Amino acid sequence: MINISKFEKALKRVEKPARYIGMEKNSIKKNLDDVKVKFAFAFPDIYDVGMSHLGLHILYNLLNNEEDIACERVFAPWIDMEEQMIKEEIPLFTLENKEPIKNFDFVGFTLQYEMSYTNIINMLHLADIPILSKDRKDSDPLVIAGGPCAYNPEPIADIFDFFVLGEGEEIVLEILNIYKEHKERGFSKLDFLKEISQIEGIYVPQFYEVYYKEDNTIDRMVPIVEGVPKTVNKRIIKNLNKTYYPEKLIIPFIEIVHDRIPLEIFRGCTRGCRFCQAGMIYRPVREKDIETLLNLAEKLVESTGYENISLTSLSSCDYSQLQMLVAELMKKYEEKHIGISLPSLRLDSFSLGILKDIEKVRKTGLTFAPEAGSQRLRDVINKGVTEEDLERAVTFAFNEGWSTIKLYFMIGLPTETKEDLLGIKKLGYKVKDLFFGMPKEKRKGNLKITLSASCFVPKPFTPFQWIGQNSIEEFNEKIRLLKSEIRDNKITFNYHDPKLSYLEAVLARGDRRLSKAIIKAWEKGCKFDGWSDVFDFSKWMEAFEETGIDGDFYALRERSFDEVLPWDFIDIGITKEYLIKEYKKATNEELTRDCRLGCNNCGINRSFLGGVC
Amino acid sequence: MLMNLWIKFTKENYLKYISHLDLMRLFQRTFRRCNIPIKYSQGFNPQPKMTIGNPLALGVESAEEFMEIDLYERIPEDEFIRIVNSDLPEGIKIIEVKYVDSKSSITSFIDWSYYEIQFVANNIDDLNLLKTSIMKLLEMDQLIIEKEKRKGNKVVSQNKDVRPFIGNITISEGKTKKISDNECLITINCLLKSGDKGNLKPVDLLKVIEKYTDIDIDIDTAEIKRLKIYSEKDNKIEPLM
Repeated sequence: MINISKFEKALKRVEKPARYIGMEKNSIKKNLDDVKVKFAFAFPDIYDVGMSHLGLHILYNLLNNEEDIACERVFAPWIDMEEQMIKEEIPLFTLENKEPIKNFDFVGFTLQYEMSYTNIINMLHLADIPILSKDRKDSDPLVIAGGPCAYNPEPIADIFDFFVLGEGEEIVLEILNIYKEHKERGFSKLDFLKEISQIEGIYVPQFYEVYYKEDNTIDRMVPIVEGVPKTVNKRIIKNLNKTYYPEKLIIPFIEIVHDRIPLEIFRGCTRGCRFCQAGMIYRPVREKDIETLLNLAEKLVESTGYENISLTSLSSCDYSQLQMLVAELMKKYEEKHIGISLPSLRLDSFSLGILKDIEKVRKTGLTFAPEAGSQRLRDVINKGVTEEDLERAVTFAFNEGWSTIKLYFMIGLPTETKEDLLGIKKLGYKVKDLFFGMPKEKRKGNLKITLSASCFVPKPFTPFQWIGQNSIEEFNEKIRLLKSEIRDNKITFNYHDPKLSYLEAVLARGDRRLSKAIIKAWEKGCKFDGWSDVFDFSKWMEAFEETGIDGDFYALRERSFDEVLPWDFIDIGITKEYLIKEYKKATNEELTRDCRLGCNNCGINRSFLGGVC
Repeated sequence: MLMNLWIKFTKENYLKYISHLDLMRLFQRTFRRCNIPIKYSQGFNPQPKMTIGNPLALGVESAEEFMEIDLYERIPEDEFIRIVNSDLPEGIKIIEVKYVDSKSSITSFIDWSYYEIQFVANNIDDLNLLKTSIMKLLEMDQLIIEKEKRKGNKVVSQNKDVRPFIGNITISEGKTKKISDNECLITINCLLKSGDKGNLKPVDLLKVIEKYTDIDIDIDTAEIKRLKIYSEKDNKIEPLM
C-alpha cells in the first residue's frame, strides 16, 4: 500500500480529490494476499472518462467474480494530482487497495483512442514500471492491452508484452488460468508468452520481425519464434445472451461523462458506413433478446439506483425490437422516475417517434450526423441518409417542440469538392428555413443550430484505409471557407483542430517505427493529447524530427492496394477483397445495402460464424 | 400523519471530498436502491423531495449533517436507519431520524455550527501567547475580510465585517502541541454563524486569525470538522435534534 499520510496530503491540494479515493458503491476490495492473480485495469485517461467506459465494468466484475483473482482500477491522474504524486513520491496506485500497480501481475490497458498513447507511457513511468517490454523482468507486471486501437497495435508494439484482439469476455480468463499454472511452477515470461501466443486473439509483438523496403513501406512481417501464428484472428463472442454481463456497476461519487446504466442491446452494426472503423471491426451484428435485456435492466436498477437507462450500441435505433423494448422498460420504470435514453439517433420518423415517447417532458437538444453536406458525398461514404430524411426528421422535431439541433459532419472525406463542403452550410440554412417556415404560433423555443465539423481520419480496416488524409493546410482552408460562409446568428459553426486529427492519422496507421517517436513526445512532456488545453503539437513535431519520423508518410500518403499494411497480419473476419470492393464503389458513388437487407459478403459469417450473421 | 423526515448523518474520512451535489446524487441513488418511498416534485422535471441543510465545503468533515426528505408512506424510524445504513458507503452513516411537523424547510432552523479546526502554525511556541491573541481577537468590534462576490459575469471584492458571525473561539489545549522548533499543531473549537441569516466559513475564520493576529497559519494543513449544528431561539442556542 502507498503511504497514506502522503496520499492525504496530496488529496488536499487537488481539484477533484474524489477521483482518487475509490470506496464507491459496488466497488470490490479484496485482500490482495488471498488471491492468486492481481489484475490492474488501467484506463489511460482521467476517472471521469474511464468510469464511463462499459468495457471496464464488464471486465472488472467478470474478473472479480473469480475467487482467486482481484481486479482493481487505475486511471491517469489529472495533471494537478500527478504533480502531487511526484512531489510526495507516491507511485501510481489502484483505487481499491491503494496498492502500487507495480505489485500487480498484470497491468491491462484499454486502448480507446490513439491520443491516449502518451498517457500510457506516463502511467507506466509514474508506476515505476519500465516502459519497454524488453526492459521488464519476470518479476515486473505483464503489461497488456486490448480495445479498438489494438487493431493496429504496431505504433505501441514495443511497449506491450501482448495484445488481446477482439472481445475480451472469454479470453481474459483463459489467459489468467494459464498464468496461474505458470506462476505455480515458477514463472518465466518468455515461456508464458510462447504458450499464450497459441491462443486465438493473442498477439505477442516481440515474436515478430518486420522488414522494410527502400521506400520505407513494409516488405514483410514474419514470426521469428517457432509455432507462432502468421495471422492473428480477433476473438468474438458468439452468443451475447449467454455471455457475461455485470449485474452490478460501480456508482461513482462524482459526476462522470456517462452517469447512467449502460444497457448494451447489441454489438456490431449493419449500416456499412465506409469511414467507420467500429462498423467493420465489431461485426457481425449480435443482438440480445428482450427477455435477457429486461432481466438485466431489473437487476441493474436494483443494484445501482441509477435514474436513467441508456440503450447502448453503435446504432441503437437498428435494434430489431426497439419499440417493444422501450415500451416495456417505460411501463416498468416510469413510475419509479427512471428515464430511458437513446444515445445514437437515426434520421427517421420511427426513431423520432420513440424519442418523443421517452423524452415526454424535457426536450433536450437533438443531434444528427449526416456526416457529409451533399448527397453525392454521402453516397461515397455509404451514409444511407438523404436530404429528405433530414428534412422530415427536423420538421417532425420542430413540430414536437425541439428547437436545438446539432448536425455532425466530417470534412476532408475522399473525393470532397468545394460544392460538397458548401453543402454543410446549405443544410444548416435549410434547417433554419424549416423552422421559420412554420407558422409563428407553432414555433416553440429559440432556434439554435450547431454545425460541427471534424477532420476525417482514415482508419485501419475500413475501405478508406489506403486514402491520404487532407493536409493541415487543406483542412484550414476548408474551415476558413465555411467560417466565412456561415454567418448567421442562429447558426454556430464548430470545428476540430486539424493538427490533432493529423496526429491521430499518423498514430492510427503507423508502424513499429513510431514507438520511439511516441516515447520521445512523452519525454518532451506530451500527455493528455486529446485535451485541447494540454495538447502541444509543436512538441510532437520536434519528437518526429528527432526520431527521424516523417508524419506525412503515415497521414497523407495514398497507399496502393498491394502495399503491406502494418495491421495486415490481423484478421478481423472481413476480407481485404471486400474492403477494396467497397473502396471502388465509393469512388463510383455507389451504395452498399444495409446487411440486414441481404448479405454483402464481407467475409465475417464465413470466418467466424459458419452461418448467417 | 407526519411524513417529513429529518435525518442526522455523518460525513467523515474520505467522504469529505465529495461535493454537495455528489452527496445529493448519492442519497438519491441510495434511497432508490433501498426502495424508500420518497415523494417527487410535480411538474415537468420531477425531482425527489430532499434538502440538505447548510452544505459543507469540499474537504470539511462532519459529525452531524442534516437532511430533510418527504415520504409518501411512513417507515418506522429504526427500520429506516437500518435499511439505509446497510447500503451507505463507509464514511456516511445515519445517526438519528425523526418525523417532524413543520411547514418550513430544515434550512431555516440552522443558525450556528460548531467546528473543530486543526492547523499548523509556524511561529507560535507559547500557549499563553496563543490564548491572548485569540482573546484580543474576540475583543475587537470589527473583523473585516475581503470577500469575492460574483455579480453576473464580474467578480467583485467586498469588505465584510464578520465579527457578528463569530460566536466563540476556544483553544483545545489537549490537542495543541509543539511539533518542531518553529511549528505548532493547534486545535481550536469555534462557533460560527451558519445558514441563510449569515454564514462564516471556517476557512474564512482562519483568514481572520491570520490577518488580525501574529499567528502564521499554514492553510494547507488545516483539518476542519463540523461537530454540531445549532438553532437559535430567544438568544439561546439548542441542538437541532
